[in-house]
Amino acid sequence: MSTSAALTLEQGMAHLASIVGQEHVRLHGDTIVASPADTQQIAEILRFADANRLAVMPIGSGSKQSWGNPVEPDVQLNMTRLDALHEHAWQDMTCTVQAGCSWAAMQAELAQHGQMVALDPLWPERATVGGIVASNDSGALRLKFGGLRDLIIGMTIVLADGTIAKTGGKVVKNVAGYDLHKLMTGSFGTLGVIAEVNFRLHPLEDHTRTWTAVAPDAAIFAAPLRALMDSQMTPSSVQLRTSKQACALDIRIAAQPECLDEYAARIQSIFGQIAIAESSEAVWQARQQLFDKNDAVVLKVSVLPSELCSISAELQQWAAAEALDIATVGQATGLMTVALHGAPDAEIALIERLRARLTDSGGSVVALQIPDSLRGRIDVWNCHSNALPLMREIKRRFDPNRILNPGRFVGNI
Amino acid sequence: MLTPSHITELRAAVGAEGLITEQSQLQTYECDGLTNFRVLPGAVVLPCNAQQVQAVVRFCARHKVPFVSRGAGTGLSGGALPAAGGIVISLARMNRILEVDIANRLVVVEPGVINAHVTQRVASQGYFYAPDPSSQSVCTIGGNVAENSGGAHCLKYGFTVTHVLALEVVLPSGELVQLGSPTLDAPGYDLPGVFVGSEGTLGVATKITLRIVKRPEVVQTLLAAFDSIQAAGQTVSDIIAARMLPSALEIMDALSIQAAEAAVHAHYPVCNGLLLVELDGPRSEVEALMREVQALCRNNGAWEVRVAQSEQERALVWKGRKAAFAAVGRISPNYIVQDGVIPRTALPRLLSEIDRMASAEGLRVANVFHAGDGNLHPLVLYDRAILGQEEKALDLSYRILHLCVDNGGSITGEHGVGKEKQEALGYMFSEPDLATMQLVRCAFDPESIANPDKVFPRPRLCAEKPGPYTPHPLETAGIAEIF
Repeated sequence: MSTSAALTLEQGMAHLASIVGQEHVRLHGDTIVASPADTQQIAEILRFADANRLAVMPIGSGSKQSWGNPVEPDVQLNMTRLDALHEHAWQDMTCTVQAGCSWAAMQAELAQHGQMVALDPLWPERATVGGIVASNDSGALRLKFGGLRDLIIGMTIVLADGTIAKTGGKVVKNVAGYDLHKLMTGSFGTLGVIAEVNFRLHPLEDHTRTWTAVAPDAAIFAAPLRALMDSQMTPSSVQLRTSKQACALDIRIAAQPECLDEYAARIQSIFGQIAIAESSEAVWQARQQLFDKNDAVVLKVSVLPSELCSISAELQQWAAAEALDIATVGQATGLMTVALHGAPDAEIALIERLRARLTDSGGSVVALQIPDSLRGRIDVWNCHSNALPLMREIKRRFDPNRILNPGRFVGNI
Repeated sequence: MLTPSHITELRAAVGAEGLITEQSQLQTYECDGLTNFRVLPGAVVLPCNAQQVQAVVRFCARHKVPFVSRGAGTGLSGGALPAAGGIVISLARMNRILEVDIANRLVVVEPGVINAHVTQRVASQGYFYAPDPSSQSVCTIGGNVAENSGGAHCLKYGFTVTHVLALEVVLPSGELVQLGSPTLDAPGYDLPGVFVGSEGTLGVATKITLRIVKRPEVVQTLLAAFDSIQAAGQTVSDIIAARMLPSALEIMDALSIQAAEAAVHAHYPVCNGLLLVELDGPRSEVEALMREVQALCRNNGAWEVRVAQSEQERALVWKGRKAAFAAVGRISPNYIVQDGVIPRTALPRLLSEIDRMASAEGLRVANVFHAGDGNLHPLVLYDRAILGQEEKALDLSYRILHLCVDNGGSITGEHGVGKEKQEALGYMFSEPDLATMQLVRCAFDPESIANPDKVFPRPRLCAEKPGPYTPHPLETAGIAEIF
């Protein structure tokens, strides 16, 4: 527990135990881990933390705990006891789920009525709804269904002072009041604790097929990819994979079974000389696999869709010149995951070069996974927005004592 | 009140040609589409670029003069109602499409660009701008951003917020900031997400980066006539249960059909429940699904099922639907347009309840809904000339909103809260919810000069302590109760 707090560790433990029960409080180093059972307990913990200026880190499974600037919390708010799917109004295609529920557990329940939250985040077996929302994770389905901002219709949040607030509602169409849930999505737990999320649902995609094209250089895909995206087909996902060895373009389409052959022919006609072959669903694991090497730097890179092939190709050229190993998985939306492996100085130089390269088009590079050896040497967020003072003011209004994940977010918010 | 020196400052900001102070001309701006609220502004400015908007807002910040921004003034909740003696910033002259980038499927516009003009501009390349409020031929993108406008096709394509990637905004301090980015997930809070739909209370958008969508290969529109709204509603549920996502699902009742026929001769079948289903996408898929939809309609007792055979027929079907509000003027001297949302499954039950409530007051309610997403537009018909009927009608329209909230819905699906539904917002959200929204308001606009006294149930000041409800000392002491 930080020395600034006028409270001993024992006092803190005792008080938190009085809120959540002895068996739900433990010590991890100098951090108290408290696991609330409900929203009310979250509010009580936060009120206590706020009054005593204790830094709080909300946490689910911890799968993305290292994302953002490091935080040394006094209290870890473990959300995993709040793991229920509270409501699945399947006829209305909405659901309400607690933040600590794992993504896969939620999807399994929704699937009983042939529905899903149309998002494929990282590590669905472990990752929780709250963590996924707080970090605004999204995968290949984003092309067709949009991101979390398009899928979340309401939320229950707890503010630093213990205020429990609801935003949005349980209907898809709703413009009453400010959409605070959009502000909370991707805020890395710096504005409030997400207790419960309401999603709009989509039908499961029953009949899907994936095709893959392979080429020696990503630049070759620029024209056919543009033609594909300009066509009237509506793929669920399109991703470009590149590595030192090769590159591949994957396309997934969901449709009436009788239409899938026709799509195969249409895609092949777009790709002309480049052969298209049916491939397995496993190719969609590619993004997650980039995180497998602990000593790799993993970046979230956002580019204009039209730049996807050229940036991917350039990255491989830079990598070859700098003796770096680079693997990329980029969605047709322009969102890329890039893993770097090599000499630390070369990795840092490459990140700087990429950031400079993307300045004009408004792209961004966020360092998600940083090996310990490089911590402190890489600017995680590199946010140069002129709205940063406004973001700081929002933070100040929501969390004046800076107890929620202090320093983790852009501009050390 | 604006003084002569204020007027001089404003003239310096926007030029003489951009300033209106003449009483008779000011009257043009005294209301929006919700005409029963009227307030005369102190002055109207018509800036032609972001710098002029900044100069005007800086003036307002300096003198603590409230300002209300305004597009085409088609809003239906009083969002563009002037503040008494304040400034109206009309964005009508900022109407240029600045950039079209087909490769990245985006268009950059000024706020005064008319919604339909975006589609017109990119149609030849096979694209369209998806949000399509019924007023799309006149309403502006700036106004759509303020209201987070939807339209009949948002069931599949989403709302304005889905299609806004980035914004250039003049904050109530006069500062110019960029929110979001043309690329996805710019680092930082999702400020475009909270700005869109904030009804002009967080600043003035001066440039908007929109996403455009490829026009589908085919669009098919079906009309089905049922003997009851309930049967039409059941068909909607069956279509959804069959895992389809039509681009539009609309229901009209007998009264609104009658009105639409009188106004535009849409050749609708005369029935108690008319269902309009639109499917779009690749040809083979749409054709397969349309067969399924037809079967579901027949299963639920549709006695006429008709697929529009040409683009002209399709356009006529929509013309009738989009004209429905105004058309009600043909069958009733006065009417109130409401905009509630309910979970789709509550539809049949709520309609019976609305019927019952209307009959009890001796009033008629015409119903038009975006049935796919549970967005109701009850049109409460009345005659102002009959003493007391307007009050009854207003009261009924608010009670319908309460009914929506009681059934797990919302007080507005697309028209906004504005001036009209401030109190209803207080019915939908509790005090802590509203106080939390107010934190955002105060971060953007600590002096409450941007569209003040709108949206929230009562005027609030940023110095008020936000947070949970604090009981009055008398209440704590058990001397008084607050209801």
